[in-house]
Amino acid sequence: MDRVVNDFTINIATANGTGSQSANLILLQTLFDMGIPVSGKNMFPSNISGLPTWYIVRLSDNGYQAPGDRTHIQVLVNPATWDEDLAGLEPGTAVIWNTDSKMEMNREDVISYPVPMTKIARGLNPKLARMIANVVYVGVIAELIGMDQAVLEAAISKQFGGKEKAILLNSEAARLGREYCANELTKRDPYTIEARDVSDDGFFVEGNEAVALGSIFGGVQMLAWYPITPSSGVAEGIIDWLPKLRTHEGKATYAVLQAEDELAAAGMVIGSGWAGARGMTATSGPGISLMQEFIGLAYFAEVPSVFWDVNRVGPSTGLPTRTQQGDLAMLYEGSHGDTQHIVFIPGTVEECFEFGWRVFDASERYQTPVFGFSDLDLGMNRWECHGFEYPSEPMDRGKVLLTQEQMDAIENYGRYRDVDGDGIPYRTLPGSGIDPILYRGTGHDEDGAYSEKPDVYYKLMQRLKQKIDGARDNLPAPIMREEVEQDIGIVFYGSMENTIEEIDDILETATGKKVSTLRVRALPLHSEVQAFIERHNTVIILEINRDAQLHGIIRKEYPVELLSKIHSVAYSDGMPPRARLYAERIMEVLKEVGA
Amino acid sequence: MSDKPVKAIKLNVINEPKDSYTGGKSSLCPGCGHDQISSVIVNSAWENGVKPHRIAKMSGIGCSSKTPAYYLGQSHGFNTVHGRMPSVTTGANVVNKDLTYLGVSGDGDSASIGIGQLIHAIRRNVNMVYIIENNGVYGLTKGQYSATADIGSKKKKGVTNETQPIDLCAMAVNLGCSFVARSFSGSKKQLTAIIKAAISHKGFALIDVISPCVTFNNNDESLRSYGYVKDNQAELHSVGYIPHFSPLEQVEVPAGAYRDITLHDGSTMRLETISEEHDITDAVAALSALHKADAEKKHVMGLLYFDGDKPALEDDLDLHDTPIVELSEDVLRPSAAQLDDVVAAFRS
Repeated sequence: MDRVVNDFTINIATANGTGSQSANLILLQTLFDMGIPVSGKNMFPSNISGLPTWYIVRLSDNGYQAPGDRTHIQVLVNPATWDEDLAGLEPGTAVIWNTDSKMEMNREDVISYPVPMTKIARGLNPKLARMIANVVYVGVIAELIGMDQAVLEAAISKQFGGKEKAILLNSEAARLGREYCANELTKRDPYTIEARDVSDDGFFVEGNEAVALGSIFGGVQMLAWYPITPSSGVAEGIIDWLPKLRTHEGKATYAVLQAEDELAAAGMVIGSGWAGARGMTATSGPGISLMQEFIGLAYFAEVPSVFWDVNRVGPSTGLPTRTQQGDLAMLYEGSHGDTQHIVFIPGTVEECFEFGWRVFDASERYQTPVFGFSDLDLGMNRWECHGFEYPSEPMDRGKVLLTQEQMDAIENYGRYRDVDGDGIPYRTLPGSGIDPILYRGTGHDEDGAYSEKPDVYYKLMQRLKQKIDGARDNLPAPIMREEVEQDIGIVFYGSMENTIEEIDDILETATGKKVSTLRVRALPLHSEVQAFIERHNTVIILEINRDAQLHGIIRKEYPVELLSKIHSVAYSDGMPPRARLYAERIMEVLKEVGA
Repeated sequence: MSDKPVKAIKLNVINEPKDSYTGGKSSLCPGCGHDQISSVIVNSAWENGVKPHRIAKMSGIGCSSKTPAYYLGQSHGFNTVHGRMPSVTTGANVVNKDLTYLGVSGDGDSASIGIGQLIHAIRRNVNMVYIIENNGVYGLTKGQYSATADIGSKKKKGVTNETQPIDLCAMAVNLGCSFVARSFSGSKKQLTAIIKAAISHKGFALIDVISPCVTFNNNDESLRSYGYVKDNQAELHSVGYIPHFSPLEQVEVPAGAYRDITLHDGSTMRLETISEEHDITDAVAALSALHKADAEKKHVMGLLYFDGDKPALEDDLDLHDTPIVELSEDVLRPSAAQLDDVVAAFRS
């Protein structure tokens, strides 16, 4: 039997709230610390305790981070999904199963590893047996695939940071699992690991925490939020780090408000922006739906405000613990009437940090609501990170007149008058006494006075359009990886970044064709996006939703002669994108159009 | 030289003329109670000697919420969205605690679409004045009943209201609001004293002002018409205000019983007993007064409830003494060394 090294997927089926998440993170951390390229995906339910949960660990020397096509090692602990999980396995899968689950192993064609997990755990500590049983399977996996015991114990220490009792207990449970495997089981599967060079700068971080840190280094002054999965980690990360990073003379240089709902959170953000501060909120699609009216106010009254949307599956309550790119169109044209908004779209945890501070600069520069657009996959899973780059530019506070001299230097000043020709007017702050005006969501002239005049309204709306249009090439440029052939190009965005390389490899293997890729990092679209499309013969817009939302934006904005070569692959089932599934759809489209 | 004497312009304690506190021309119906309130706001701010540019005028949507355009032309303001003025004010307040936040709302704004935000602003004790210009009808949409319309009251057109009203003062008392008062747009003296005191108070000051809608709800069958409210008041006390810059000892001592309340900025609210004393620190007494007046189809007037010791939101947040909005980049953006520490913590 040929060994399979560092190229397989482990699927662990447990129940929510049983402590399995700690065990799974220990497994992930150990593999990572051995230098093996690894990713973990938590497929958890919208529930606190009892419903099924799966954790998928992908090991890949190629660096592939998407969930793989199949499971190679299955851990069965949860009776509730036992039969279905077992039935779905390919022949030859290694199955580590808890013999104390009172469930049967009825497959002859899999490699069976029965382990009395609960009994072993009970021997250690009867009260905590259910929890410790999870670490027993980690020990069994460690022995089966060849994990380093010292690295494993270090990962346990890290997971239970400082809690000596827990560290001892869990280390012992892992050791017992390992011993049981060595003494009672014979390895009959090919899956094994080899340590690789450990990159000494790498660490794991969730996208949400990276956004949180980026926001703090962006100088966030007011956070208002209402808890919602999968975005709560952004606010909680900020709340966790602020006292350490932003205390001055023993006092807070920020305010955090847990709002009564998302509407109030949006109102607080806009109030703080109006007052001259950097305010933000973090929410998910349902929250953005509730904030629509306020988003229009901030756009029309030109108030800086930052909104992070960590996308979950919609519409409605949808699948609250699954991932999607279904909110893009809503963000871009949020609120009633004609609107257009700036959207930053990170694809990596490093960018989550960078865009965390950049969104504030853009929002104050353009005096408009700015969105950060992440998703559950990027936000709530742990990703390898190679460090955060300190902001390369000082804060851009935009066109704010702080003194009467500054005001006097401007000829024909008006709060909403474009004196520089870029569509961006100057503003003054409450309390300054400089050109006090009544901000309003109603029609207003260039001085801010109420107006319903047709030419005043028309001119205002044209200026707002010019202002946002002018942002295009000042927003993060797309990242391109271009082949000399310039035949097929794939345009994608956000967390698809973590699957694109594998899709690319599958396409090349299957068709022999080399494809270029472009990752969009902001809306409105950078001019490089159109240039890339112009250079390629066939372009696929690849996204994780049903309605091809980016494709729709491109169709609406780009010259009609370009549209015939632009095609869509949009698919969403709640799961993080699996490479083969998207690659096959791309190949179908290419075949249909004869590319 | 003319013989005509030059009329001296009257200045307030900070040497500002009253003109510094006025605003644009009102577009409300002639005789609207809201315009009377606007003029009381102008007087109160001027007489109190508040710097006009240190006031922030906040409002939602509706007839009442249009009024910030008609007063305090030297103050920044924000006419926000329907019922959401409290959250916008809260966000502004925490980043700039040194401004005086003067919110104006209506009964549509406060008792219906925005009742949740009002409740939570009270709960947080946001340091602001919150004036409800309460007329029992939606004026801008031409006279539908609002949620504060009294049972048995009939507006100019349509049927008698049979739906239980929401009493915003009773609600505020129950929520522990730190300053709850009711007044009448026609009672200029009382309203002026109450608004001045609310400005001097630190915390959420709710003032429910009955302000008749002359167009849709000023007929004889209405319990919120000028005539009815004028004749059917249950006055809790007579309200006076002595600013912190006028020595208290120089003010004439009332003949009867009275109670002085020292406000946050050192000013005094003087409550003179009319028949029997209303205990403003007793929430049950406040509710009892409201219910008693209700039963008699009367409107309670005066300061219902007061708690000067309740910490305001800005106190709870342990904010830096300098308003957050005035902090500079070197304070707001942590250093590169701090980022190194953060990353090191992840790596360890």
